[in-house]
Amino acid sequence: MSDAVPPLLMDGVSLTLPSAAGPVEILRGLDLQIGPGERVAVTGPSGSGKSSLIAVAAGLERPTAGRVEVFGQDLGRLDEDGRARLRRGRVSLVFQAFHLLPNMTAEENVAAPLEIAGARDAEPVAREWLDRVGLSARLKHYPHQLSGGEQQRVALARALAGRPVLLFADEPTGNLDAENAEHVAALMLDLVAETGAALVLVTHDAALAARADRTLRMQGGRIAP
Amino acid sequence: MIPLSLRFAARELRSGVKGFRIFLACLALGVAAIAAAGSTAEAFRRGLASQAGEILGGDLALTVEQRRFTSQERAAIEAEGRVSWAVSARGMAEAPGGLRRLVELRGVAGAYPLAGKVELESASSLDEALAPTADGVMGAAVERSLLEKLGLKLGDRFLVGNVPLVARAVLIQEPDRLSRGFALGPRVLTRLQTVEGGGFLEPGLPFGETARIALPGAESPKAVTRHLRTLMPRSAVRIRDRDDAAPGIRRLIDQLEYFLGFIGLASLVAGGLGVFGAVSAYLDAKKPTIAVLKALGADGVLVRNVYLLQIGLLALLGVGIGLVLGAAAPVALGAMVQDNLPVPALFAVYPVPLAKAAAFGLLSAAAFSLVPLARARSTSPATLFRRDLRGRPGLGLETTGAALAGAGLAALAVVTAPTPLAAGIMIAGVAVAFGLLWALGLAGAKAAGRARAATSGPLRMGLANLAGPGSAARTAAPAIGLGVALLASVVLIQSSLLRQVAEVAPRTAPALVFTEIPGERVAEFDAVVARAFATRLTKDNYLRAPFVTGRIVRVRGTPVNPEAVPQGDRWAYDNDISMSAIGPRPDPSGVVEGRWWPANYQGPPLVAIDVQAAKGARIAVGDAVTLSILGREIEARVAAIRKVDFGGFGATFPVVVSPSALAGADLRHVAIAKATKAQEAAVTRALGQGFPEVNVISVREQLEAATDLFDRLALAVRGAAAVAALAGLLVLAGAIAARAQARTREAAILKALGASRAQILGAYVLEYGAVGLIAGAAGVALGYAAAWPVVTLVFKAHWSVDWGGVAALVGGAALIAALGGLAASLQALSRRPAAALRAD
Repeated sequence: MSDAVPPLLMDGVSLTLPSAAGPVEILRGLDLQIGPGERVAVTGPSGSGKSSLIAVAAGLERPTAGRVEVFGQDLGRLDEDGRARLRRGRVSLVFQAFHLLPNMTAEENVAAPLEIAGARDAEPVAREWLDRVGLSARLKHYPHQLSGGEQQRVALARALAGRPVLLFADEPTGNLDAENAEHVAALMLDLVAETGAALVLVTHDAALAARADRTLRMQGGRIAP
Repeated sequence: MIPLSLRFAARELRSGVKGFRIFLACLALGVAAIAAAGSTAEAFRRGLASQAGEILGGDLALTVEQRRFTSQERAAIEAEGRVSWAVSARGMAEAPGGLRRLVELRGVAGAYPLAGKVELESASSLDEALAPTADGVMGAAVERSLLEKLGLKLGDRFLVGNVPLVARAVLIQEPDRLSRGFALGPRVLTRLQTVEGGGFLEPGLPFGETARIALPGAESPKAVTRHLRTLMPRSAVRIRDRDDAAPGIRRLIDQLEYFLGFIGLASLVAGGLGVFGAVSAYLDAKKPTIAVLKALGADGVLVRNVYLLQIGLLALLGVGIGLVLGAAAPVALGAMVQDNLPVPALFAVYPVPLAKAAAFGLLSAAAFSLVPLARARSTSPATLFRRDLRGRPGLGLETTGAALAGAGLAALAVVTAPTPLAAGIMIAGVAVAFGLLWALGLAGAKAAGRARAATSGPLRMGLANLAGPGSAARTAAPAIGLGVALLASVVLIQSSLLRQVAEVAPRTAPALVFTEIPGERVAEFDAVVARAFATRLTKDNYLRAPFVTGRIVRVRGTPVNPEAVPQGDRWAYDNDISMSAIGPRPDPSGVVEGRWWPANYQGPPLVAIDVQAAKGARIAVGDAVTLSILGREIEARVAAIRKVDFGGFGATFPVVVSPSALAGADLRHVAIAKATKAQEAAVTRALGQGFPEVNVISVREQLEAATDLFDRLALAVRGAAAVAALAGLLVLAGAIAARAQARTREAAILKALGASRAQILGAYVLEYGAVGLIAGAAGVALGYAAAWPVVTLVFKAHWSVDWGGVAALVGGAALIAALGGLAASLQALSRRPAAALRAD
C-alpha cells in the first residue's frame, strides 16, 4: 500500500436507518479524509452521528449513499466478508463498552485478531503488548476478573498489537473514572504515535480532543463547518 | 497446529453447557428411544436366531396340512437324517364329570424332540409322561389351564374325542412351540399313534403333520431344501429352515421395532424445537461476541465454523448420552425380566441399531441447528452499535444443509422401515402435523396480540407475553402438540379396538363356533343345540352350513400364481381357505355385484366370491374359476361378488358354491351361535353325549383373552408414546428457561409498579396454561385425524372415542403447562425487585 493513499476517504456518505416511527437520517452527506498517521478527534452531542461515522468508516455498517474508501479500496464493492478481510491487521477498533470476548483470557483477547489475520506468533506478541499496557500479571484473567480500566487497556493492546494503519476509538474513556481515563488516553496516544497509525477518536472529552491533530464537530449527522 | 476455528470454539465452550441442557436432553431422549427400540428388537432377533434349532425343532421342518405325508415323502425325508414326527389336531376334552372344552392335541413320535427339551412338571421325562398305564390308557402332558378348566388333577383320566388319556404331567414348555403359532385351547401332548387311533387324522379334518429333520453335521439345510423341493412342490409341502423358524414373531418384532422407533423419531422432531430454541438462545447471547469477532476481521466462514464446531460437539455429546441410555436400558431391563419373556432374547450392546439411532440424532440436530447458525453467521458487526439488529438467514450452505438433513431424516426413516409406504405416510403425517401445529402456534400468538388490547391487568400481561418474541406458543405449543397428537392417536386407536373386542364384537360376532358336525346328522345336531339353549333357533342366533376347505387354482383358465397376487390379498390364494355350499341366498348376503342363484338351483356350478379375494386375481362376475376341493377340481362360473363381514354373524366364507357343485360329497358342517355363558356351558356339555367329535370353540374366551392382551399392550404402547410427550415438556422447559432472565426483570418492574404476587402469578399461569390448552386441543384433533382412518379403514373396526382419555390429555397438557408457568413465576418472584433491577 502506498503512503500517498489516504487511509480513509468518505465522500457524500449518508446513513438512513429504519425505525418504528419511520426512517431516521443518521448521517447526511458526510465528506472526510484522514491522512496517514493523522489523529482526528470527532466531538458532538449525543445522537449527532459520531458512532455511526465510525461504524460506516470501519465497514461495520453500509452507508445508504456515498462512497467510503479504506486504503483506496471502495468498501461498497466488498461484501461483509470482504470488508472483514480488509480490516484484518490494518484497521482496529476500541469501544466505549470494551467489547472483550468474555470466554477468552486477556492474552487470548489480544491474540485473537492476530490469529484471525494468520499470524504465527500471536501469543508472544499478545504477551508483549499486555506488558506494554502494564498487564503482564493479568495474562490469564478473564474480562469479568478485570476492572474497567484494565479491560480498556486489554482492548487497547488488542487494537494495537497488529500495528494497524487506522485505529477507530469510540469514546474509549467514556466508561472510566478520571484517573483511569487519563491513564488509558495517554497510553493510547503514545502507542498510536509509536505505531504511526492514523486515529479517528470519538469523544465528549474536550481535553482529550485537544490532543488530536484536528477536531471535527458533528451536528445533526453533518460535520459542522 | 490446531485450526483457528477449533481454538476459538474450545475457548467459547469454557463457559460450560448450561444453556444447552435442553438441547442435550431433547437429543438424548429421542436417540435413547430409537436406540432402545432397535437394541431390544435386535436382542429378540439374536435370541430367536441363537435358539432357531430348538424353535424349529431341528434343522428343517416340513409340514403338510389336512393330510399325512405319503410313503414316498416319508422315505425322502428319512433319507436326510434323524427325523421326529408330530401331528396336530383339535378335539374336545371331557372330564369324568362332563365338563368339556376344546384342546390343541399333539401327537409325537420318532426322536422327538430333536433339539431342546420338553419342560414338564411332575414327570422326569417325556417318555415317563406319555407311557401307557397298566390297563393301556396312554399318558399325556397337559397345560395347567386344562386341569383348572376341567377340574382335573394329575393322575386323573379324561377323554379327547373318544380317546381316553391320563394326565401325567403338566406341560410347561415345548422347545418348538414358538414355531407353531396361535392355539385355540390348552395344549395336550401325547403319542402320535394315540392321536392317529382316535380318528383325528381322517381326510377332511383340520389336522397337520410336521416332520423335523436333524441333518448330519456337514449337510447344509439350504442344499437339502433344494433337493427336497425337487421331490415335493411348494404347494404341497411347506419347508422351513432355521432362518425361517418363527416368521410370524420375526415380523412382529420388525413391526414393533419400527413402531417404537417411530415414536422415538417423533420425539426427535418434537424435541427438535427444543434443539432449535436452545441453539437460537445460545447464539443470540453470542451476538456481541460474533460482532466483535467480525469487527476484528473474522469472516462469516470462521464465525460459522466456530459455532458449528461447538454445536456439533454438543450434538455428539447429546447423541452419545442417548446411545448410552438406549444401549443400557434394554440390557438392564433384560436382566430383570429375562426369565419371564415369551421369546428368547440375547440382551447385549449391538452396534447396528446404535449407529442407526446416532444417524437419526445427528440428522435431527443438523436439521434444527443449522438455521439459527445461518442467522448467527449473518450477524452484522454493527450490532456493536445497535442491539436491535437481527441476522437474516439467506439460502446459504447452512439453510441448504438444514433442508438436506430434514430430507435425510425422513428418507432414513422410510428406507429402514419394514413397510416403506406406511412409513412414508407416517412421516408425511408427522411433517404435516408439525407444520399445522407451528402455524397454529403463530396464529395463537397473533390472536393473543390482538386480544390484549381489550384486556387489562394480569390477563393483558399474559396475552402480551404470548404475543411477544419469546412466546412459548411458537416453540412449546407445536412440540407439546405433537406429543399429545401421538399419545391421542394411540389412545383413540386402542380404545376403539378395545371396545371392538370387549363390547362390539360380543354383540355382533358369534359366541360359539361348532366344527366337524357330521353332515348326515345335522338335524339331530340342531335339535341338541336347541334343547341345550332352551330356545328356538332362528337365523339371528344360529347358522349352520356345510364346510370344506379348498383353493382357487385357476382363473379364466390360467393357473393362479400366489406370488403375483398383491400381498394384502394373497391370503386367498397361498393357502386353503374356507368354503361352503349354500342354496338359499343368505341374509345378509353382502352381494355387491352379480346375483345370488335361486334357492333350488341345479345347473352348472356357480360361485360367490368375497370382494377382497376377487380383487387379488381381478376376478369379475361371469369369469370361470377352477376350485380344488377334496382332491377334485371343480369348474364354476362367478355369479356374485360379495362383501363378507368376517367378524360378523353370518355366512362368513370367502367362497360359496351352489350346492350342485358339491352334490354327493359327504360334507361336515360348521355352525355359529349367539349364546349366554350358561347356554355355552349347557351346549358344550350336551354335545359330549351324542356328538363328541364336534369341536366347540368359545369365541367369548378368545375375545376375553384378546381384551386381556390388549390391556397389557395398551400400557406398554402408551408408555412409549409418552416419550414423545416428554420431548414436548422438555421444549416447554426450554421455552421457560429461555425467558427466565427477562421474566425476572419483568416481575421486578411490575412489583416496583405495585403489582401483587398473585397478579404476576396469574399472568404466567394464564400464559402457559393457554399454551398447553392450544397444544392439547390441537394435538387431540390431529390424533383424531390420524386414528380414525387406522381404526375404520385398516382394522375395519367401529370408531368410538374415549372421551375420558381425550379430556385427560387436553386437561393434562393445559395443567402441566400451567404448572410450568407457575414454576416460572415463582422463580421470577424469588428475587427481590431491587436486586433484579440492579443486575439489569
